[in-house]
Amino acid sequence: MSRVRPQQLGPRNVQRVRVTLGINGRRHVLDVPPQHTLLDLLRTHLGLLGTKASCGEGVCGACTVLLDGRPINACLMLGASADGRSVTTVEGLSPDGTLHPLQQAFVECGAIQCGYCTPGMLLSAKALLDACPMPSDGQIRRGLSGNLCRCTGYVKIVEAVRLASQRLAARTNHQPQVAADDAGGPWAR
Amino acid sequence: MGALIGRSIPRLDGIQKASGRFQYGIDLVIAGMLHGRVVRSPHPHARLRAIDTSAALAVPGVVAVVTGCDLPDRRFGALIKDETVLAVDVVRYVGQPVAAVAALSLEAAIEAAAQVTVEYDPLPAVEDPDAALRAGAPLVHEAWASYVAHPRLIRHGNVCGTATITKGDLARGMAEADHVFEDVFTTEPVHQAYLEPRMAVAAWDPPGCLTVYSNTQLPFEAQAVLADILGVSPGRVRVITTGIGGAFGGKLRIGVEHIAAVLAQRAGRPVRIALTMEEEFAAAYPRHAMRITLRTGVRRDGTIVAKEAHAVLDAGAFSGSSPGLPSVATLVLAGPYRIPNLLLEATSVYTHKQNFGSYRAPTGPQCAFAVESQMDMIARRLGLDPLAFRLRNVVRDGDVGPTGQVFGKVSLEAALRKAAAAIGWGDRTQPHHGKGLACTWWTTTGGPSGVYAKLNADGTATLATGCAEIGTGALTAAAQMFADHLGLRVEDITMISADTFATPYDHGAQGSRSAFAVGNAARAAAAEIRRQVLRLAADTMEASVSDLDISDGRVRVRGTPSRQMSLGDVVRLAMQHDGGIMAGGTFAAPATPYDTTCVSGHFYPAFNSPSFHAHAAEVAVDPETGAVEVLRYVVAQDVGRAINPRLIEGQIEGGVVQGLGQALRERIPYQGAFALVHNFGDYALPRVGDTPEIVSILIEEPDDIGPHGARGVAEPPIIGPPATIANAVDDAVGARVTNLPLWPERVLRAMRERARGGE
Repeated sequence: MSRVRPQQLGPRNVQRVRVTLGINGRRHVLDVPPQHTLLDLLRTHLGLLGTKASCGEGVCGACTVLLDGRPINACLMLGASADGRSVTTVEGLSPDGTLHPLQQAFVECGAIQCGYCTPGMLLSAKALLDACPMPSDGQIRRGLSGNLCRCTGYVKIVEAVRLASQRLAARTNHQPQVAADDAGGPWAR
Repeated sequence: MGALIGRSIPRLDGIQKASGRFQYGIDLVIAGMLHGRVVRSPHPHARLRAIDTSAALAVPGVVAVVTGCDLPDRRFGALIKDETVLAVDVVRYVGQPVAAVAALSLEAAIEAAAQVTVEYDPLPAVEDPDAALRAGAPLVHEAWASYVAHPRLIRHGNVCGTATITKGDLARGMAEADHVFEDVFTTEPVHQAYLEPRMAVAAWDPPGCLTVYSNTQLPFEAQAVLADILGVSPGRVRVITTGIGGAFGGKLRIGVEHIAAVLAQRAGRPVRIALTMEEEFAAAYPRHAMRITLRTGVRRDGTIVAKEAHAVLDAGAFSGSSPGLPSVATLVLAGPYRIPNLLLEATSVYTHKQNFGSYRAPTGPQCAFAVESQMDMIARRLGLDPLAFRLRNVVRDGDVGPTGQVFGKVSLEAALRKAAAAIGWGDRTQPHHGKGLACTWWTTTGGPSGVYAKLNADGTATLATGCAEIGTGALTAAAQMFADHLGLRVEDITMISADTFATPYDHGAQGSRSAFAVGNAARAAAAEIRRQVLRLAADTMEASVSDLDISDGRVRVRGTPSRQMSLGDVVRLAMQHDGGIMAGGTFAAPATPYDTTCVSGHFYPAFNSPSFHAHAAEVAVDPETGAVEVLRYVVAQDVGRAINPRLIEGQIEGGVVQGLGQALRERIPYQGAFALVHNFGDYALPRVGDTPEIVSILIEEPDDIGPHGARGVAEPPIIGPPATIANAVDDAVGARVTNLPLWPERVLRAMRERARGGE
């Protein structure tokens, strides 16, 4: 185990790095310790607690956020490396309090149990739908392959992404899709 | 009434969770709190020679360092008090807490923990139960006999609990059999792998009173254990459950609450400890490795006449849940079958490993893997169809269980037939494809639940339960039952949960009991609320109570639409009269009668409100690599009454995929007493691409005790998959694997053995 001298780590001596980044459409300027990850920036410095921490080694996907629109593990990126980039977190999915169609579908389909994976799962799903608005089940599975869920067995998560993609497509095509919201929705049972 | 029962209403906390606003334990910050860090043993067994904390105390920002010597000599444990908060004199597993530090920042705490110097004299470790049971084996606890323990426990040396069921006359039964088959099965440890690690924030506030926030499943047990450890009255310990990011039994027993509490005491300030995932893999409560030997006597026609089972659980270094679980194992080892002569015995054995514990249906998947694999092996040896062999032996209405419990309605035959039909049992399959079946039974854990309920001035309601919501949606189901009774909408119910000061006692979110028990308590409270509302409304509207109805938030006089008042009006009136509309509701499941002469050392002599289930799967096996792909999975489960079908499907799908993880990939391998898994990166959790099509068939055979007839739902789905997959793999390629998981190389080896003419 490496031995670091205590005085090297005392809070007084820690250097800080200035980072400017856009988070959910707002510009933030932060002075942060260089060893802090993007996840630390979001949770500790900005108090955006929706992004979750778990394995800390980029395996579980709980900390997935979008960096310039692409999904990344926020635990694997140093905050300073995100300088000048734009980040979307779960808080950015419903800025005015109205649930994003993906969030709405996750709630309706039962894609949420403990919910700890949900923020990361939603952002992977958003990146997928942004790139591929009408994904096949195989594409949905590939798009979510970086995110672990221990509760749901994934079935209803895939269902929710499929439902959200249909609703979003209906919206952009300006076709009145009553069926998607009523009879076709999972409320039908 | 009844309109909300059977409806797939979205869970109450869904919107908060979807929007990232739900507060989990890990998100909790309280004013003035310090950050704690635990120093852990790198040795499985060693004498503690000295601990030097001076360098740690010199780290800037460090406020307190505590070691085992600083604490009063008190031991804790559910059935055996064998564990101390921090190690004293001896360490007994890799990862055992030895010291803890609290500092102003997490960085300073991490640094200070690294600066605690501990001198160890390593000692030989007891690596597995075989070694532990050998004559002359070192004792994991030399002072085991002096520990305070439950008097019913049968224990000696490294054995921390043995449970036995005996029924009929085993020797005579075996003599009556035409064939006696003996087979051995082994399993490896698997982890609950909740994504949110365990955490606690402890504060001595007001002085002399401890408040602990923790993501525990059992706040009332934590309260009692903390009071015991700290030498204070339970009335001075408040445990508040935070939001929980997965638990699956891993957050039942105390985790970090006690360490946070002693640090906070020493520091005079609140302390937060959140574990890392590395700590979670080193020192948590994973599922036991088991070794199970079955001897089964069968008549030529396929009737089972006798069964003998011996199972050993690797308990790890401290007892935790382990002394009680052999009891559960014996019932699963009986199988859901009519067998007149039984000897079923299971034993938990101390070793120098982390403390294995309760993971969703503890002992269920291991024992069912053995029992249901052997059912198929016997069927093959006798040339019987596995489905027909099971149908010949399964329990039916009015049958007597292994300990004399009398079954009411048993839907197992229906479950088996439905699962078999759904998987296309008997239909031809492609080469290297195969189908497997398994059937199992499980309990709905009893234990009491209490709720407080009140109606608010706007006609909505608040329901306070001591039960935590661990993600299953059980509290949504309870709210559904409450709302249904009062003509409310589920969205009108606010749930307050799991605070040992603010909510009534509850036996906790465990054992498939939450919706069952909290639901019944909520219905009792709703009935009382309803009585109060109707009495007041009847007086006000000058009507008779028997003429009143509640629907859509209004009390109405039947047949006279003009005479009605809103629930809000009733509540406001009640507030002026006597303080409002409020009630408590309680429920305790009656004990299931059993034959006391059948059992010894037993803590779980009958499965309460039992559920029966049949699983079926189709797999494809790659004959070159032995890799198994699950194509389709079917569960037919008796849920009694499906209060919220979509939530139940979620339990089935999640449980099946966890079970498939144990069947095919997951394990914590050990080298000696050292675990070789340290984080998710080393642990093969199922991902979305591993999920097959899952078909849930909900059978509704109402239970006499459950709310609306509901039975426990959440644990059973994890029990069947290992056996079902093992049976399907054998059907596909003629490979009988008797040790979990079914790694490709194990499947290949079994294929080659079969090809050489072995089993």
